Amino acid sequence: MVTLSVDASKIEIAAGTNLLAACLQNDIYVPNLCYIEGMDHPPASCRLCFVEIEGKDAPVPACTVEVRHDMAVRTDTPGVRRLQKTALQLLLSVHDVDCKNCPANRNCALQDMAKFLKIALKSKHLDLFLKKSKIDLGHPFLEYYPNRCVLCGRCIYVCRAQQAHTQLTFAKRGFDTVIGFFGNPQSSPPSCDTCRACAEACPVAALLPKP
Amino acid sequence: MNFVLDAQEKSLLEQIKTKLPEIGNDRSKLIPVLQLIQAKLAYLPAEAIHVVAAHLDISPSEVYGVATFYNQFRFHPPGKNAVKVCLGTACHVKGGDIILENFERKLEIKEGETTADREFSVDRVACVGCCALAPVIVVGETVHGHMQPSKVEGLVLRARIEKEKQEREKQQK
Amino acid sequence: MSPADHQPFQAGFDEIRKAAATRQRAFAEAPVPRIHIGMATCGIASGALETKAAFEQALARHGIDARIHTVGCIGHCYAEPFVIIDHPESGFPPIFYPEVNAGKANMLTKLFLAEGDPRFEHILGATEENDMIPWIGEFSRFNQEKRVVMEKCGHIDPEDIYEYIAAGGYETLPDMFRRSPKEIIQQINDAGLRGRGGAGFATGLKWELAADQPGDAKRVICNADEGDPGAYMDRTILESNPHQVLEGLIACAYAVGAHKAIIYVRAEYPLAVRTITKAIRQASELGLIGNDILGSSFDLDIEVFHGSGAFVCGEETALIRSIEGFRGMPRHRPPYPVERGLWGTPTVINNVKTLASVAPILKNGAAWYRKIGTDNSPGTAIFSIVGDVVHPGLIEIPMGVSLRTLIFDICGGIPNKKKFKAVQIGGPSGGCLPEEFLDTPIDFDSLTEAGAMMGSGGMVVMNEDTCTVDISRYFLDFTQKESCGKCTFCRIGTYHLLTILERITEGKGSPADLKNLAQLSQDIKNGSLCGLGKTAPNPVVTSLRYFKEDYEAHVSEKRCPGMMCRPLIAFYIDLEKCARGCDACVGCCPVEAVFTTRNRKKGIDQSLCVKCGECMVACPPEYDAVRKVSPPELAPIIERPAEPLKDEK
Repeated sequence: MVTLSVDASKIEIAAGTNLLAACLQNDIYVPNLCYIEGMDHPPASCRLCFVEIEGKDAPVPACTVEVRHDMAVRTDTPGVRRLQKTALQLLLSVHDVDCKNCPANRNCALQDMAKFLKIALKSKHLDLFLKKSKIDLGHPFLEYYPNRCVLCGRCIYVCRAQQAHTQLTFAKRGFDTVIGFFGNPQSSPPSCDTCRACAEACPVAALLPKP
Repeated sequence: MNFVLDAQEKSLLEQIKTKLPEIGNDRSKLIPVLQLIQAKLAYLPAEAIHVVAAHLDISPSEVYGVATFYNQFRFHPPGKNAVKVCLGTACHVKGGDIILENFERKLEIKEGETTADREFSVDRVACVGCCALAPVIVVGETVHGHMQPSKVEGLVLRARIEKEKQEREKQQK
Repeated sequence: MSPADHQPFQAGFDEIRKAAATRQRAFAEAPVPRIHIGMATCGIASGALETKAAFEQALARHGIDARIHTVGCIGHCYAEPFVIIDHPESGFPPIFYPEVNAGKANMLTKLFLAEGDPRFEHILGATEENDMIPWIGEFSRFNQEKRVVMEKCGHIDPEDIYEYIAAGGYETLPDMFRRSPKEIIQQINDAGLRGRGGAGFATGLKWELAADQPGDAKRVICNADEGDPGAYMDRTILESNPHQVLEGLIACAYAVGAHKAIIYVRAEYPLAVRTITKAIRQASELGLIGNDILGSSFDLDIEVFHGSGAFVCGEETALIRSIEGFRGMPRHRPPYPVERGLWGTPTVINNVKTLASVAPILKNGAAWYRKIGTDNSPGTAIFSIVGDVVHPGLIEIPMGVSLRTLIFDICGGIPNKKKFKAVQIGGPSGGCLPEEFLDTPIDFDSLTEAGAMMGSGGMVVMNEDTCTVDISRYFLDFTQKESCGKCTFCRIGTYHLLTILERITEGKGSPADLKNLAQLSQDIKNGSLCGLGKTAPNPVVTSLRYFKEDYEAHVSEKRCPGMMCRPLIAFYIDLEKCARGCDACVGCCPVEAVFTTRNRKKGIDQSLCVKCGECMVACPPEYDAVRKVSPPELAPIIERPAEPLKDEK
């Protein structure tokens, strides 16, 4: 066991625990999207869980750090908040903020974080860029909404944990990256029809089972 | 991705299939196998994605995800005259984008596309490393340095005349 | 000669060396002229193949017995295709001829090789000191360079391992195997070699970290995934002297205890792929690679991996993912590749130039290397200098030389009497520096301090007619397209930067955009996952800092001072100067925007004009009637005459 301080609290936790997990387990909220407990090498791709650690000159994503004894962590410094707000605003600048018609309304990671960080869902200073295709029906059992997707990759991670032949993958590159499918109904494993793990893992209702 | 394979492409793909076992089927062979197919077919048709997936025992999605990540792979056939306009730094400063625009205008296609008759395709490339000759284009394997917008028309015209000549010769035979 | 047991590993190598020397002597002592032709990609692009064919035909026609010797790239791109003719019988020293096309090849064969007249008007210089022809060693483009990595480039045939060996290649191997891996690492540490991939991490330390890892399933990778759109030194080295890279790679593998090595080279470099593959085969045939190298019981297997074209794969962790067969998306470090790299094994990844520096260090010692360059950045730097300089090309200089010396002395300054405006160093990760920085010494730390970066070694020199906003837009367009898409800041942030820059270059920017650019750049720098994202804003940050006035002119006056941003410029024809009946501009216009107006002079239809500038090039210099202005409103309106005028013709 190691002891560390996060903001005003002292935490005692098993050595080697992921710092983000340690905070969340102790009810200290740090915004996050792409992290799932138990990941061997977290992707650290959403760039939201920044914290400041004493001795380091810049904020670091908490999911990339293992707890150490006597570590002093701050989750709410101006530097941390600035990066978190920008990251969230960037995600929202490619997000179709149409909450009324979204099944994730009131149960949405983006809404929660916007509230926590006190930013508006629709940014004043960033342009909005939406993809042309609103919905992708290519997958035999799933609907995919690219303009909701935050590309956290949770769906791919949970699918891989269940299926040897996952149908989900990141496709294309850069700004055009999407969750992609390629194949035909026969090539998906039969359990895909009932599994739903990917849709359940999605924080923003970008993947839904086909009705 | 809805190009239909012609007979020649089909037989090439069959040939490739017979070669795959000797390459091996661990995951690290994915990119080399895709490169091999593209070297033969000049692009990756949908059928090829399935062939590779079956060979490596991974899902077609997985193959597609990797293939779409890399600039090298293309999913529709290039034209017989594959024009690559260099937009490296030196070429940009010397007006490479104007050359690209001229091709797009002349051929009435956008970069990344192939003309309906499959004669021409136009792509941009990041740098062919001939910066002192900027602006540069590559047609097939041939590098043309010190390009000018007015040379574009000549190149396109020459290729079209060449084709007409060949067709006439074919008819005469 | 000492017996084999006194000098283990030496006997086997001496035999190889003897064979190389015999071949070399046969070539050097043959009483015939020798024609050396540079045949790297840039030479071939300039027509070296045609030149070579022309020489062959002409030699046959004149019945001259001569050897054509194909060599790699010498780095003098402005002179391609270059030829060095060594014609001992003529009494002249070996002569360097620039820009030898097929016609010149015919002429030189006839007049020089057959008749003994070297045609002074075509000579650049002699490659040896003599009394007749100026020696190129006296030219600053030649004598201020210090060649360590590129020493043999352009002098040996890259496809013949014996030429490399005859020139002293692979000599370090026997001695290296007599020493312990620790001693090798110590020597690299003592030399202070820093990674030439851009960041400048200490090479010896990297090797040491990997060597300290347990087990012997380790790997070393040569990173030749050169992706900067304007840097081509890695390609040139692989094409011109692949064995020096292999020699360094063998040393690296021996030092860290790896038995597998991979050369990761871009598939877009077909000639480099071919050359290095052939080099590996030749070295294996001589037992310099493979099992029990020179009887040392050290085994090393080297493979070539063809990178599929993704700039981000220059980043270590992304490169590893792509070899493993996945999307080349970088991973958070730690763990670093030296702990857990390719397939989970400790992996050292070194750039081509780093590895090519190793053999010279092992041969001449750490102290020798330390004498080159500066205290913190020993050794040499290679730049590919392009843009507005008289003598562009590849240049290897000792670290610490100033930008001014490099641009104005070595490269001959700015052509056409234009003024220097900026130099962009380090490609998409680097920055734009103004005149005040010309006296900055070139080394890792000084460049980083100035806001640029050694990076890939790409350098673009820009004259007063360049728009720094457009250059930033260009680089952002590149990084945005090459972003892997994994992390939020790089994927979405660079897209916003690009659209803001596009808006500004179109004259639609606002003061708020400038503020946004600065803030967003800062956040992308601090928030991105990998080096690509962290450095992507550098071109914007530096140009905003040093060329603010360029941005302000675009935003507040809708004017492009460098007259590069096409939406902000216009071309018009000065009727005072335009000559009647000259149709040069009409003929060259790709969109038929040029029309004939009264007095058979010309006008430009602004609504059709695409601003390619062809008319300005085509207009005969004695008229010089085409003008370029910014903002476009400055162009006087010349109405296209109504149809009847055409009938008058």
